[in-house]
Amino acid sequence: MKQTLIVFVQDEPGVLNRISSHIRKRNFNIESLVAGKTEKKGITRMTVVLNEPDKTKQKIVVSSLSQLDDVYDVIDATKTDCHIREYALLKISVHKNDLDKIRKSVESLHNQIIDEKDNAVIIELTGSEKDVESAIQSFDAYDILEIVRSGKVAMVSGNFFENKPSLTKKEPNWATGQILDSF
Amino acid sequence: MNQSTKLLTGAEIVWESLIKEGVEVVFGYPGGAILPTYDALNKYRDKVHHVLVRHEQGATHMADGYARSSGKVGVAIATSGPGATNMITGMATAILDSSPMVCITGQVSSSVIGSDAFQEVDITGASIPVTKHSYLVTDIKKLASTIREAFFVARTGRPGPVLVDIPKDIQNETTEFIYPTDPVSLPGYHPPTETNESHLQEFADMVNAAKKPVILAGHGVLLSGACKEVMELAEKASIPIATTLLGIGGVPDSHPLVLGMMGMHGESWVNHAIQDADLLIACGMRFDDRVTGTLKTYSPNSKKIHIEIDASEINKNVLVDLAVHADLGTVLRQVNPLIQPSKKLDWVETISSWNKDSQVRDILNIKSERLMAAQVIREIWEGTDGKALIVTDVGQHQMLEAQYYQHDEPRTLLTSGGLGTMGFSLPAAIGASFHEKEREIWVIVGDGSFQMMLMELATAMQENVNINIAIINNGYLGMVRQWQELFYDARYAETPISSPDFVKLAEAYGLPAYRVDSLDNIIPTMKLSQKTKGPSLIEFIVEEHDMVYPMVPAGVGLHEMIQRPHPKNGQTKNQEKSVL
Repeated sequence: MKQTLIVFVQDEPGVLNRISSHIRKRNFNIESLVAGKTEKKGITRMTVVLNEPDKTKQKIVVSSLSQLDDVYDVIDATKTDCHIREYALLKISVHKNDLDKIRKSVESLHNQIIDEKDNAVIIELTGSEKDVESAIQSFDAYDILEIVRSGKVAMVSGNFFENKPSLTKKEPNWATGQILDSF
Repeated sequence: MNQSTKLLTGAEIVWESLIKEGVEVVFGYPGGAILPTYDALNKYRDKVHHVLVRHEQGATHMADGYARSSGKVGVAIATSGPGATNMITGMATAILDSSPMVCITGQVSSSVIGSDAFQEVDITGASIPVTKHSYLVTDIKKLASTIREAFFVARTGRPGPVLVDIPKDIQNETTEFIYPTDPVSLPGYHPPTETNESHLQEFADMVNAAKKPVILAGHGVLLSGACKEVMELAEKASIPIATTLLGIGGVPDSHPLVLGMMGMHGESWVNHAIQDADLLIACGMRFDDRVTGTLKTYSPNSKKIHIEIDASEINKNVLVDLAVHADLGTVLRQVNPLIQPSKKLDWVETISSWNKDSQVRDILNIKSERLMAAQVIREIWEGTDGKALIVTDVGQHQMLEAQYYQHDEPRTLLTSGGLGTMGFSLPAAIGASFHEKEREIWVIVGDGSFQMMLMELATAMQENVNINIAIINNGYLGMVRQWQELFYDARYAETPISSPDFVKLAEAYGLPAYRVDSLDNIIPTMKLSQKTKGPSLIEFIVEEHDMVYPMVPAGVGLHEMIQRPHPKNGQTKNQEKSVL
C-alpha cells in the first residue's frame, strides 16, 4: 500500500537533500516527491509518496522525519479524508484530420489543449492518479511523443481534522535541554 | 545446469568476482556484518592475499597506495557501521586524488535495514560525497554484475573510489555465479573515447605560435600513461614543464626542461614562468587553489589549453581558450606530429636566470648546529640514488620532499595532495609494497602525521613489508605552526606536540629503530635501515623553527611569494617583488 506524507519544512538550502537522504537511510523507495511554497513565508510543503507495505516501517518514517530539526510537521495522509491530485502534460503527434476528434475527447474529459504546433499538440491533464492514467490511456491510439507527470500533491479535507499541521516554531524544552552548573 | 555456472553463496561470489577482476591482494578488517565473506575467504587463500589492518582507514590508504603505485584498482574490506565510517576519510582521499579503489562493506541484514540495528549506518548514503559511485546490493542476482560495474567505474575515465555495500543475508544466499562479459552500460557515464579533430589543429597552431609556453603537468599525465608523449611535446617545441604535487615523477625532474613543482610552495622561477607565459598547456590537472594562488592575477597574459578527461573540471576555476575533453595520451599522440620543432632559447634562458637568486637562498646553504629537515630529505635522495618509492605524509616534510627529492620515474612519489590527509603515508606505503616488491620504499613522515596512523606498524610487522620509515621530528605540527608564525603573529595555539619515544615505540612493535640528530650520521644510519629485511624506522631530530619557502600566502598571486630570507639578511621576512 502506498503511503502519502505531507511534510512541512523550513525553506532552506539542503532541506530537500536532508529529507530524501533520511528516507533513503530507511531504505524506502520514493515514488514521488513534490515540493513548493506555501501560504506561510519560509515554509516549504512537500508531498511524498512512498512504496512501503510494512505498517511498522510506515510509522517509523513519520516519527523519524518529525524529529528532524528543519521539519515543522509531518502528516500521514494515507488514511485520512484527503484529496490527492496529479498534473501531467502529454504531447501527441496528430494529423489534421484527427484534430477535431482529439479536441472533443479532451473536452469530454475536462482537460485542455495548451499548444498546437508542427503537427503536435500538448494536452494538459489533471486529476487523481486514476483520472490521469485513464486519460493517458485514452490517447493510446495516437502517437505519444512525450509524457511528463508532476508527481502527487495532497490536501486533507475540512478545517478541523485531528492532525492539523503545526506551523509555528516550538520552544525547545529547556527543562531537559539545559546545561547544569553542577552535578 | 550449465558447466560454466556454479551455485555459490553471495560471500563466495564476492571473492570469485574479485579474482575475475585480477585482484591479488585486499586490505581489510573483519566484523559482524561481513563475517560470511571472511568465512568464505578461507577457500580462496591461494588466489587472494588478505592483509589484516589495524584500522579501517588504514585499509583504505593501503588500497589507495597500492592503486597509486600499480595503476590497478585497490580493494579494501570492512564491516558495517564503524568499520564503514572509518573508511570515509580514505575514500575522500582517493576521490580528490583520482585513485581507483573499490571498498566493500558488510551491511546489516536487509530485513532490519532502516531500524538503527546494531552497527548499522547508511554508508551508501554517507559515502555519496566522497565516492565516484556507491551501491547497496539488494538482490543476490545483481551482486556479481554490481562488483564488475564498481571496478569498471573505479578504473575508467577519471579514476576514483566506489563503494559496494552488501547486506549480511545477501552474503549468505546462494545463486548461480555468472560473471557478465557484455560491455558495462550506465546511463550517465560516458568517459570520452575520441577527440574532436578540429581541436587538434587549433591546439598545434597555438603551440606553434607561442613564444613563452609552459606545460602544466598534473596527475593525469601518470593516470593516462602519457609521460612519454608529454616529454615528446616538450622536447619538440622546447617547452618548459611545471608539475603539480601529484604530477611529480610524470616527467623526469633531472631533465633540463623540467622546472619543478608549481604553486603555493613551488620554487619562485617555476611560478614566475607561469605568470610570464604566453601559453599554458594544462595536461591532466585541475587548477586547484594551491596551484594557482588568486585567480585574479593568475598568468594574466597567457592563452590556455586544457586537456582533461573530466568535463566538470574544464572552465571550473580558470577559463580556457581551448578545452580538449579527452584522454591526454590519445590527444598528444595525435597533436605531436603537428608541432613544428623549435628552440626557444631566450625563454629557457630567462627562466634559468630567475633560478640564480633562489640558489643563493637555498636552505642547504644555511649553516646550522641543528639538522635541517631539507638536509635529511636531500640525504635520503642521495642515499637511495633518487630511485626509491617515496611515500610522504602531509605538512612541511611533504613540501620539502617535493622540493628536495628529485623523482625521475613515474609513480615513485605517493602523497595525499587534494585532501591533505595526515596519517596517509605509513598505510599507503604498506599497500604500495605489495606492488613494488623490488624497489626500495621510504616513508617520509612528520611526528604529528605519524601519530595519526602509527597502529599500522603492527600490520607492517605482521606482513614483514620491506619499508623504511623516516620520521622528521620537529616537535611541532610544523605547517600549521608556520601559518601561525606568518599570519597569526606567532601565537602557537596547540601546535607544539609531544611524541612518545619513537625508537622505543618501534622496538615495542618489533622494528629495528634508530635516532639521528646530525648530518654525518644520516647516510650510515640509512645503510643500517636499508640492510634490514622488513620494516625499520629512523627518527630524525630536526630544527624546530624551520619554515618551508617560498610560500605564496592564500589569496595573493603566484608571483607575490614570500622568499626564504637571504642568508646575509638574517631573519627578516621580505616579500619579494615580482621580477616581471
